[in-house]
Amino acid sequence: MTAFPFLILAKASEPAGGGIAESLGLHWAKFLAQVLLFLIVYLILKKFAFGPIMAILEDRKNRIAEGEENLKKIAADMEAAEAKQAEIVGEANTRADKMIAEARESAEALAEKKRAEATNEAAGIVAKAREAGELEKNQMLSELKRDFGRLVVDTTSKVTGKVLTGEDQDKINQETAAQLSL
Amino acid sequence: MTANGFGPMNVLGAVSITAEPFLPFVQWLTNSVLVAGIVVLLMVWATRKATRKISPVPVGFQNFFELVIEFLYGQVEGIVGKKVAPRAFPLLATIFLFVVISNWFGLMPGVGTIGFGQLSGPLTLDTAPDEHGHAPHFVPLLRPATADLNMTIGIAAIFMLTWAWLTYREIGVIGFIKHTFAPKGGVRGFVGSILVPIFLFVGVIELISIAFRPVSLSLRLFGNVFAGETLLHAMGGILDGLHPVISFLGSILLPLPFFFLEILVGVLQATVFALLCAVYIQISTTHDEEHDH
Repeated sequence: MTAFPFLILAKASEPAGGGIAESLGLHWAKFLAQVLLFLIVYLILKKFAFGPIMAILEDRKNRIAEGEENLKKIAADMEAAEAKQAEIVGEANTRADKMIAEARESAEALAEKKRAEATNEAAGIVAKAREAGELEKNQMLSELKRDFGRLVVDTTSKVTGKVLTGEDQDKINQETAAQLSL
Repeated sequence: MTANGFGPMNVLGAVSITAEPFLPFVQWLTNSVLVAGIVVLLMVWATRKATRKISPVPVGFQNFFELVIEFLYGQVEGIVGKKVAPRAFPLLATIFLFVVISNWFGLMPGVGTIGFGQLSGPLTLDTAPDEHGHAPHFVPLLRPATADLNMTIGIAAIFMLTWAWLTYREIGVIGFIKHTFAPKGGVRGFVGSILVPIFLFVGVIELISIAFRPVSLSLRLFGNVFAGETLLHAMGGILDGLHPVISFLGSILLPLPFFFLEILVGVLQATVFALLCAVYIQISTTHDEEHDH
């Protein structure tokens, strides 16, 4: 069907017919030469231009799509990482707060314990010091009594000019000690 | 004006309507075949230059080539659809590029004006009409490939064969018959049976229109390019026969606006040719169920 107009033109180009085709320069050999040239350029362009260029355009399109996909994936990963990071930081904060609270509690307990120990120790030291003071005081007091008794005995014997017996001395000592304890 | 030996009518017939051979014994080697060969070599060279060191990051000429191909592919895809585009694109793009380059090649200096003069010998400039008002026979060395009906019919014939193959591949013979003759618009029943003869008649008209597509495609392109050649030739020679300086200036200045017009016509005709081809493919490869929606 598509050859129909060409058949008409070919018929018209026959020498006997002359006419339109001849006057327009239609000629089979020239027609074939032009068809051949066009086919050559068509095949060359198809193979060496359109093929590779379309392939590289397709490749680039795929790469861009892949890049976009990767970008979306990276953004999603980043979002997830940020959420994870926030979660970890939150967890760490909670744990740190807890640890600080525990440490504070523990420190307070320790301080309390140490304070109590120190108080007890100080109280012990004070009690011991008081006991030692009391002991020393009693010792000094008994030495004083003894020296005073002796002094009284000596004084009495010197005043009276009499040699006091052991019994007198004990009696004087006892009276002196009794007077001193008053 | 013609009585003085100059004027547009004297130069209008100076451009032959047919491509002419250089050698009497090689009829097929015409000036337009030579230009077609040069255009082919030019396109092959450009292709090699652009794609020899093809890289994912385009540089230089590859960039320009990608721009053109991507743009053309987008246009073709927009018309014929995503499915048919990969198969239809190479031919449609080749038609567009070949036609536009051939058309513009005709605007190069020397094309159509340097050749073999009957009186002045080889590699001479086109000469003015003689004293009797007749233009001496002159065969230009180069003639735009698309100003030769053999080339435009050749392109149209290749397109029609590709069109037939794509149509067969997409909808098959039965599909094509249904597509051409069956009632459209989902009309069925009694109304449908009344419309059958009308659609049969429309189908026959459609077949005739399809049969004449290559003729309309080729004659439109040929007519426009040939008319452009003639126009430039006429404008260039309109002051021939006057004082040499005036004639010289006229041959430069008068055709100048028409060169811009022809640049536009060159790309416009290539677009029209390729666009119509794409539309023809789209019409015949669209499935009826898609068409009805």
